[in-house]
Amino acid sequence: MSMGSLAYLSRLWNNLTHRRKVERELDQEMSAYLSLLAEESSPREARLTAGGIEQLKEQVREVKAGFFMQTILQDVRYGWRMLRRSPTFTVVAILALALGIGATTTIFSIVYGVLLRPLPYPADERIAMVFNHFSPQNTDHGTLSLADYLDWKKGNHAFESAELFRTAVFDVTGAKEPEQVQGVSSTAGFFSTLRVQPLMGRIFLPGEDAANADGVVVVSENWWRSSLGGDPGILGKKLNLNGVPSTVIGVMPSSFHFPRPPYKLWTNLRLIPPKRRGPFGWRGLARLKPGVTLAQAQMETNGVGQRIQQENPQTYQRMTMPVVPLRDELIGNVRTALLAFLGAVLVLLAIAAVNVACLLLARATAREKEIALRVSLGAGSGRLIRQLLTESLLLSILGGVAGCVLAYLGIAALRAWNPGNLPRIEDVRLDGVALGFALLVSAVTGVLFGVAPAFQSGRDRLASSLREGGRGGTARAGRRRLQAVLVMGELALALILVTSAGLLVRSFVLLGQVRSGSQAPPENVLSMKISPIPSKYRTSEQIIPFYSRVLERAKATPGVVYAGISDSLPPDRQYDYDTFVIQGQQLAPGETNPAVTCPIVSADYFRALGIPLVRGRFFTEHDNGDAPAVVIISESLARRYFPNDNPIGRRLKASGPDLHDTPFMEIVGVVGGVRYTGLDSDPADAYYQPYAQTLYYQRTNLVVRANGPAASLATSLRREIRELDADTVVSDVVTMDEALGASIVGPKFRTLLVGGFALCALLLAAIGIYGVIAYSVAQRTQEIGIRMALGAQRSKVIGQVVAQGVRLALAGTVVGIAGALFATRLLASLLFAVKATDVLTFAVGPLILIAVASLASFLPACRAAMVDPVIALRHE
Amino acid sequence: MSEAGPKTTNLLQGTLDLLILRALSLEPLHGLGISRRIEQITRGTFQVKPGSLFPALHRMEEAGWLAPSWGESENNRKAKYYRLTAAGRRQAQAETEEWQRISLAMAAALQAT
Repeated sequence: MSMGSLAYLSRLWNNLTHRRKVERELDQEMSAYLSLLAEESSPREARLTAGGIEQLKEQVREVKAGFFMQTILQDVRYGWRMLRRSPTFTVVAILALALGIGATTTIFSIVYGVLLRPLPYPADERIAMVFNHFSPQNTDHGTLSLADYLDWKKGNHAFESAELFRTAVFDVTGAKEPEQVQGVSSTAGFFSTLRVQPLMGRIFLPGEDAANADGVVVVSENWWRSSLGGDPGILGKKLNLNGVPSTVIGVMPSSFHFPRPPYKLWTNLRLIPPKRRGPFGWRGLARLKPGVTLAQAQMETNGVGQRIQQENPQTYQRMTMPVVPLRDELIGNVRTALLAFLGAVLVLLAIAAVNVACLLLARATAREKEIALRVSLGAGSGRLIRQLLTESLLLSILGGVAGCVLAYLGIAALRAWNPGNLPRIEDVRLDGVALGFALLVSAVTGVLFGVAPAFQSGRDRLASSLREGGRGGTARAGRRRLQAVLVMGELALALILVTSAGLLVRSFVLLGQVRSGSQAPPENVLSMKISPIPSKYRTSEQIIPFYSRVLERAKATPGVVYAGISDSLPPDRQYDYDTFVIQGQQLAPGETNPAVTCPIVSADYFRALGIPLVRGRFFTEHDNGDAPAVVIISESLARRYFPNDNPIGRRLKASGPDLHDTPFMEIVGVVGGVRYTGLDSDPADAYYQPYAQTLYYQRTNLVVRANGPAASLATSLRREIRELDADTVVSDVVTMDEALGASIVGPKFRTLLVGGFALCALLLAAIGIYGVIAYSVAQRTQEIGIRMALGAQRSKVIGQVVAQGVRLALAGTVVGIAGALFATRLLASLLFAVKATDVLTFAVGPLILIAVASLASFLPACRAAMVDPVIALRHE
Repeated sequence: MSEAGPKTTNLLQGTLDLLILRALSLEPLHGLGISRRIEQITRGTFQVKPGSLFPALHRMEEAGWLAPSWGESENNRKAKYYRLTAAGRRQAQAETEEWQRISLAMAAALQAT
């Protein structure tokens, strides 16, 4: 930096910080000059110079460093005084802006945190998950079997390495207390593929996924602190994971999580050479080699899939191995909903900005005199526009600050509530990015809503109020036109939000009317997951008597009417699904029926849930291992496969890819349909097996029906189970009521959010219409007075004013419907049982808007009708 | 920024700065003194009016060529005097040379016709 600019900076600093002193010195200099001049030259010259002294001072100020900054400061100070002079206007405008900016910033934070924020793995965009897609399973992101993985690994060239993992619930002993922990079991290159380092200890070593490797486990920092007491000597100690002794080798820092924060430990998978294509449940994890694209990798894995299919035609048809970017997989299907929220909130923000623009226009009328005065004192239109823009920016910045406070509260509430089970909610926070966004939004809206009124004023200045005797004709007409256009736009935008919200509300209402298939009063049904630890219950001989005792105890608990167990529960807790064949069914070699839900239940499960018996019988206690194998099928399965026959007495068997030698089971009953995969899907085709006739399985749910609200039974049922076996973990205790509510929490959140936006939009639109009508009534007081003096009916005056508002609403509706047709198309995938062009919604939305518009214009209309002709005529 | 003198000579851009610098080369002066001195050294050709003079003085002060000092005026009022700084002297030197080159060139051009 040169000496000159340093000197300039010091002058700038001096001018800005010592304004008073600088001004005083200028005064002194000028008065000394004038007094000398008076002595030395003609009185006329001295008088002339003295007259122009203020102008002279201004000319001097203009060359001084920091002049531009000072005028801005001056504008800001002046704007601040103007805002303080009309506190109602200021508060309403700031509230509208705070609402718009706060909501926008909140939603932006969610969208940024969930969709855009990088994952806690370096270069996460190069990491992908690999899946298995084949017929007849047809799951988009189907899982791999160990054998599939080994084939993929052999054929892999596109990825740096091919890893395999699955998530699981581990029963952990050896920590403070027996505990169920969500964790991951993976091959040895898992951590190095993610490129993460431990806080202490080490990650898996190559070869630790060998068939004979010892069990090792890496734990999360948080779990290490909470459940292992933060023991600094934890490395080398042993935990039991589902009965497998595993040495703790490392602790991952709390910044790391995979696949999501609830997963607290990562243990090594041992690749025991598989004898068959199954079981499934594994997912591939890999990082692309430098220079390899996702599409190239996809081509390679599909080639691998084709080879696997050719070698195993009886298991797979049309096999591909989808490669999915890790982030897409973790985010799942919330993208559409989040983008819809962002769209909705931006519309709301636009409405808020238009509203403030209308307020500014209305205020311009009140300021006509002031503006005219400034014009007559020599303010150019550029200067005037700058002043008005400074005021609107000041407003929007104040609104933005208030909006950030709202956003902070909103984000805290959303995180605590986690509505709709958003993934990555822990990554949602009000940080520099969000604040920067809020600042940008504030500035842009400030300019946007300020520009129209400011330029209108700039144009007005020639038609100055002074000339027109304080009753500006053309200027006001221009403003009124602009205001009408703005309000129309506002109504059109509001209609978009109202129809979108209407569609979501209709969807949600219809979704709420869907029955799960259980006819018991939902609050009378209580379920809980029971997980006996595997080391104690290795065979069906051990587990079946345990469950029988649990059922006996539950049944004997006071208040319980029926008690049953089932591994699947409505409305969305499907546990297992499998393919099957019917005895005598003609199928091509290797062909099976599509997979259906196959719950394993006890005799009273159907009675506990109130699932109706359509024909045949329920299971009984006698359907055990000594009795012939029996099965109950769902109504829909019966209709599909036995359309003309009585299925009772026919036989079917499971025929999953890995199940070739299970026995045929006789169909003894048909029961009503139950939804196991969500209320928005059809009742599941299902076949039920009695728990006493199946092979060993570990976890199930106890479900009881009480003769009243069942929530209070939780404590005594927990106690009964603990008395039977203190090591058995009881979790997920919910009434059916709660489970139903939880299953639709996503749609509920969407509906509430967009509905809330729509209500805000209506409110703002109502304020906008009210402003325009009230303004026009105030303008026409005299005219209305004359008409009433000439005998116009009061009701007619009211009618005419309201009609003015309705005309605005109609115009807005026409534009709005076009916009809404476009916007709701984007919502289609979020709707349930309602079309995006739903006629009812598109009819009711405009009606609501017109009703709001009439109501908002009714108040000023009444005021117009109350006009006393005498006063009105004198109104000048 | 230029003012017409008795012979309606317009000040060229930058000329006023040089005149001020020259006017101050002997002693510090206040505003009126500067305009009188300019009138004197240009033999009445240029009369600098306050609307040109004061903005120029403040601009040159901001540029670091002039430094203010407060003193008593002839009628015993507190007045702002301007004096040349070292940078101001260097500037005066440079501008004088520049102006001499221009005036020589202009004289040559005028004689050629």
